[in-house]
Amino acid sequence: MKLDMRKKLAREPFEEKIRKVGQLVRLAKTFPRRNNAVARQAPARTSAR
Amino acid sequence: MLIDEPSANLPLAAVLRAASDLVTANLIEDWALGGALAAIYYVEPFATYDADIFFIPADKGLSAGLPAIYAHLQAQGWQVECEHLMVRGFPVQFLAASGLTEEAVREAQRIEFQGVPAKIFRAEHLIAIAASVGRQKDKARIEQLLQQADLDKAQLENILQRHKLKLPTL
Repeated sequence: MKLDMRKKLAREPFEEKIRKVGQLVRLAKTFPRRNNAVARQAPARTSAR
Repeated sequence: MLIDEPSANLPLAAVLRAASDLVTANLIEDWALGGALAAIYYVEPFATYDADIFFIPADKGLSAGLPAIYAHLQAQGWQVECEHLMVRGFPVQFLAASGLTEEAVREAQRIEFQGVPAKIFRAEHLIAIAASVGRQKDKARIEQLLQQADLDKAQLENILQRHKLKLPTL
């Protein structure tokens, strides 16, 4: 994201920003990042068909 | 105040109200919101999973009065999970302030959040605290604050000098 957009977000009222933090946390819990260690253990894709 | 079902929103107002109640109950002298949630006051919102309340203990003993604080909040319906107190499923850490963090509490900015009066660390103190901790995420926080917050550069320099801190190379 561009710096001017990030600065614009930073200027939003605190209550609005906290509401967005709540949304981000909910999203992160719904779609957790894939653990890197698990990703490394996953079978590699090959081009073989 | 009874704490009930999990809420979709962060229960920050309940956290701030509870911290003020601790002053009224003479369990702490003063307090302020620090950590990531305080940084979000000055920068773009980002995901964070707990709230850090820094307090100046009323009890100057080794435990900083934490057992009484926990007992008080548990009586209000808060739950304990590891080092966190939980309100509506949201973890809150109560951290005894000293040195730089005590100064940050005493000089914190007064705000109002959803009608609840509160205190929040100033951006200059958040930068100095992050510089003193020095993890990767603290460097990222410093960079964010330097880019996005309206800083009092002279005040930041003064805090860094007095606490013998330097900003990391970013």
